[in-house]
Parts: sequence; C-alpha cells; structure tokens
Amino acid sequence: MRPGPETAPSPAGDPRLQALLRDLGDQVRPGGGPRFTTPPLATGIPSLDQLLGGGLPAGRLSEVGGPASSGRTSLGLSLLARTTLRGEFAAWVDWADAFDPASAEAAGVDLGRVLWIRPDGIETALRCADQVLRAGGFALVGLDLAKANEATPRIPASTWPRLRKHAAATGAAVVALTASTLLGSAADLGLEFGTAQPRFGEGPDWLEGLDTRVALVRNRAGRGSGQAPVSFRTIRAA
Amino acid sequence: MLVPGLSLAAALRAHPEWQGQPIAIMTGSGPRAEVLAVSPEALEHGVRLGQTAVHARAACAELLLAPNDPALERAAREALRDAALSTSPRVETAPPETGAYVAEAALFVDARGVEALFRSETGFASALADRARRLGLPAVVAVAGSRGVARIAARLAWQRNEGLCVIAPGEDAAFLAPLPLDLVNPSDALADGLGRFGLHRVGDLLRLPEKALTTRFGERIRPLLALARGTQQAPPPPVPENTRFEEATDLEFAAAQIEPLLFVLRSLLERLAERLACRGFAWGDLVLELGLEDGSRDVRRVGMAAPHLDLRVSLRLLDLALQAQPPRAPVERVTVHTTGTEVRGDQLDFFRPSGPPPAALSRTLAELGALCGEGRVGAPAVADDHRPEAYAVRDFVTEQKPHKGPPQQTTVTTTPRSLAIRALRPPVPAQVRAPHGTPETVFSALARGDVVRCAGPWRTTGHWWNEEERYAYDHFDVQTSDGWVIRLRRDWIGRHWAIDGVYD
Repeated sequence: MRPGPETAPSPAGDPRLQALLRDLGDQVRPGGGPRFTTPPLATGIPSLDQLLGGGLPAGRLSEVGGPASSGRTSLGLSLLARTTLRGEFAAWVDWADAFDPASAEAAGVDLGRVLWIRPDGIETALRCADQVLRAGGFALVGLDLAKANEATPRIPASTWPRLRKHAAATGAAVVALTASTLLGSAADLGLEFGTAQPRFGEGPDWLEGLDTRVALVRNRAGRGSGQAPVSFRTIRAA
Repeated sequence: MLVPGLSLAAALRAHPEWQGQPIAIMTGSGPRAEVLAVSPEALEHGVRLGQTAVHARAACAELLLAPNDPALERAAREALRDAALSTSPRVETAPPETGAYVAEAALFVDARGVEALFRSETGFASALADRARRLGLPAVVAVAGSRGVARIAARLAWQRNEGLCVIAPGEDAAFLAPLPLDLVNPSDALADGLGRFGLHRVGDLLRLPEKALTTRFGERIRPLLALARGTQQAPPPPVPENTRFEEATDLEFAAAQIEPLLFVLRSLLERLAERLACRGFAWGDLVLELGLEDGSRDVRRVGMAAPHLDLRVSLRLLDLALQAQPPRAPVERVTVHTTGTEVRGDQLDFFRPSGPPPAALSRTLAELGALCGEGRVGAPAVADDHRPEAYAVRDFVTEQKPHKGPPQQTTVTTTPRSLAIRALRPPVPAQVRAPHGTPETVFSALARGDVVRCAGPWRTTGHWWNEEERYAYDHFDVQTSDGWVIRLRRDWIGRHWAIDGVYD
C-alpha cells in the first residue's frame, strides 16, 4: 500500500487550543488584520447627515449638483467649516474662481486651514486636485466645477478613478460642486439640490436665507434615495 | 580644530572627484597666477608653493590647476564652524597665521564638560574630527590646556599624519619641551636670533628667564613665551546662534540652460544639507542668488510651507522656480542660502490630526504655484478693505498653535449654516431697468428676467481721497424670475450695473 501525501495535523482539533480559545473568549477575532474605517465627514446639517447616515464618505468621491442659487456652495462651506474646526486641513480647488473668503469666514471656516487653489483651466484644476490628494493630510478636497455662464467642461473618463484611488489611499473626502451631473456613475455619492426658495424678511426688506431640498441620487455604500429639507441663513439674518 | 590647507580643502569639498589627483590651487586664473596650495600628490611631483602655472605644469604634466574661489573658502570656513558648534556653544575663530601656516584655518572650541556627552576628551576630539570629515573637511583636532598649545599640537598631529592629539591636563609644558621652535611659528628674524643662541626647542626657551630673553630679543619674544607657557586659557565666549547657511560657487563656464544649473545646485544643496544635519536643523526658506553674465544679479526667494529634511524637495522647489522664470542671461555665479529651522515632527498634537507631511506639502505647494501662477495658491484671508470683491491670499502654513485637551465639538455643531455667496471675478455687466431707483428687470449673461423680490440698497463707499481707486456702490439682493438670487451692484462712479455675486 502506497503511503498517502503527508498532511500537517489540523490545529483546530487540538484540545489545548480549544481550551485557550474558550478562556480568551471575545478577545480572539478572525484574522485578516484590524479594520480601520474613517468616519464620514458630517455636513453639519442634521437632516442631511441623517439622510446620509452620518455625512459624506471619507476616502470617496461625492458630487453635489444643482442649479445656480440652490445652496451647493453653502453646503461646501459648511463642510469646510466642520473640517477646519475639527483641526483638520482642507483644500479648495476653485476652478470657478468663486470662493469668497468673507462668506467662508462667516460660515465658520478657519481660513488658515484651507488651501485655496485657483487654477485657470479645467485640466489644471484636475491636476491640482491630483497633486493635493497625493500630498496627503487633507481631510477634505473640494472641487468647484460650477462655473457660472460656462458650459459643462469635458473631463477625461480616466480622471475620476485616479482621484478616487488617491482619495482612498489618503482617506480624504473629495467633493465636487457641479452645475449638472458630471461624475455620474464615477461618484460614490451624488446629491442633487432642487430649486431654492429665497426668504426675504418683512419690514426692512432683506434676504434672510434660502430654503431648498436635497435629493440623494446615488449612494454606493448604502441607501440610494431620499430627500432632506435644508435651510441656509444670510449673515445679516444669522 | 585645524584644517591645514583651507583653500585646497574647500576645493576638494566642492569637487570630491578631484580626490587623489595632483592639484594646485592658484591665486588667480591668469598666466602670472602663483600656486597657493598643493595636494600631497602634486607635492610628490615637485610642485611647490609660489610657483607660476608654467613652472608647476613643467613639474607635473597632469597637474590640475584650479583658481582659488573665496566663496568656496568662506563656505568651508563656515562648515568647519558648524562642525564645532554641533559639539560646543563656545567657539572662537583663531586669528590668521603668517609664514608657513598662512593657509591654515583653525577654531578654538571649549572642551570643558564634554565628558558628559562624549565620555572622554579623546571621544570628543574624534567626534569633532568625524563631523568635520562628514562636511568634507579633513580637520585635525587637538585637546590641550590652552589655545596656543592646542594649535601647536594640531600642527604636530598633521605632520605626523595623525588625526587627533589629546594632551592630558597639566602636561602641556612637558609636551612642548622637546618640540622644535618652528612649530610655534616665530618670525624669520626671531627664528634666526634664537638659532644663533642655540635655542632650537621649545624647552630651551622655557628654561631661560623671561627678563633675559626680553633683554636680548625685545618685546616680540613675549607672545612666543605666552604661547609656549600655555597662558591663553580663558574659554572662548559663547557664540550668538547663527542659523543662516550659505553655499556659493563660481562657474567655470557660464550656464545658459537650466539643466546644468540644476547640476550645480544639487551639489550646493548637498553641502548645505550636510551642514544643516550637522547642526540639527531643517530646511527653511531658500534664497537663490544668480550672478549673471551681463553683470546683473537675479535673486529669488523660495518659501517653504513647513521645515523639512528632504534635499530633493529643496532641489525641486528651485527647479520649479527656475522653470517658472528662467534667468535672463547666462549664469556665472550661484549662491544659495537658507535659514536653518527647528525640525518639526509630523505628529504635533495628541488630539489633533497632523495635517499634510511637511516635505510633501512644500513640494506640492511649489508645483501648484507653478501650475496656477503667482498669488493663486495659498490660504484665503479676508482683506482689510470694505470693497465687496476684496480678498487676500496668505502663505499656507501648517504650523499649529499649542492645544490643550481634545477639540471642543460643541463649537462645531452650533455653527449657523450660513448662506454662501459665489464671487464673480470680474463682475458680470448687467442691463437693469430701475425707474424708481430699485431694479425691476435684469438682463445679463447670467440672470435675465423680471425682479421677483429685491432687498436693498446698501451703500458702500471708500477711497474717496484717491481719484483712481474711489468707489461708491449700491448693492441689492435680487431674486429674478428665472430662479437666480444675485447680488446686484450699481456703480455710481462708473455709471453702470453689474452682478458681483450669486447666492448659492
């Protein structure tokens, strides 16, 4: 009779191991190394954070779209404020050249923790985002692609996977503000702002704020739809 | 701490590929230039100090002639000082010598209390010599009870081809006694006089009464006696901290392209990096000075977002600065200086995230600056100006303020959600119908239609004292029938309307 192939005795059946596992109880978990997950980036808007299950995903691409005067930029500034007040750094790639420091400061943004980049063209803007993500250390990288009075830019399809790869490596939340859907299926999360209703005060007439609704149009990680009411107030009204 | 031929050492520090070759450092580059220093290999071939280039070449056909570069020599002297300052805060530059020792550079370093750091005086001396060697300088270190004896001991160690010489405390006189008087470097006339009296060794001098010696040789014998008796024992004064590091070189041929310039810059930065590392500093802001062929100078300052230790980052930053604006004429001379800054750890705060790594951030900022242009990358700031379009951009730095305890989350959650305005740079011109002072219809490249709601005006005026800069605006917050909520402004000076912001 030919001897069979030699096999190592299975340790699972060892009574000593069984006893050790019994003693250690919950302290022993399946292998594969510890799994660290970066918490989502809260927007600071309770209704929206509830819809998103905590906030925008870190290490992922998110698209915030909508028409002009719908509240996209206010959401962007709210994200910047949350990030910087936590002591983290953020980068704002401002292709639209629309970032207003006074408005950002009023929104609570710690301007010293924001790297403001104003590229000339869309290709440069994407290269800048790429560079910032590769440098690492930024919790939020905002891309303002909602240029007023300009057609939706053409962006090579290979751009978004590359940005996503860098975002995943550094744990940065990449948020693109767009006028119309630009990332599409490349985004891990998509938010669409509806047409906003401005609120004007009575008496001394002033603009008090905007009321709008945000729809969750895409979410790779969880629930794929839903809406949340959102209000923003002007500095004077606040 | 002594470097016997500083000009030669400085040249070899800048050109390590010359090691082992017969080299002569000349007083200039013309045919009348004389040999200032020679390498041992050249000396073996019969090249001597004071020869002209023709004579030196006749003695050694393979002789490499290099003109003396004061900038290299100055940098070498500073590097020697850095090596000394890395071990002791009390360092003094020795006065220049004459005669046979004119080419030497010496430093006096206070060695008191060094046993705590280096275990022994020998350990201290070898550490000092090792640090100088790492900076490209073949220094000899001698430890003695006085400066003069230490200098003589260092000369002797060099002549004996020894790197170190440590004289035990109280043994200075015994050490000096058998040494020839030449090592004390008397003037030629004094050496002749002493020889005629049969005094050839330091011990001979010390045995005679001072009065008898001064009667015969005059006051000029006193410094020699002081030196031999080791009376210069006061410690050097503490040195005010100097954190400026400079390296420079003259180019043999003017460089018209950036690539050869980068080759030179790499070499300069490598030497600076060694010096910074020796003193425990990181790279600060860089200043690049280029001496151009047309006689002008081109000075650039390259800021660092944060101190870092990466030589490649500094080189890349200079590369980007040169690529962004190449020199207007071929470059003849290159000087780089930086301010040594404290090394920053990546993790600054136990409770806060560390932020971008300093080296990566500096490189990224430079690359972003090259991509976007000057003034288009930085930290935004609110300008000290009432004009709505005013803003400022500051340097983006990641230095963090000391922070006690974890960040207060409550301040984050209570921040009001503020309505943002998107700036329009430049403002978009608009045609506005306002028969009663407030806008009723708007026609522009953005918003067009009837005004649904309007708030305002809010008047802003300023710089009325300056004809060119004065402004007077009336601002209106306007909702148009096509869904825009805009900030409309009426310019009273330009007499036109424009949209300078969109609420979003």
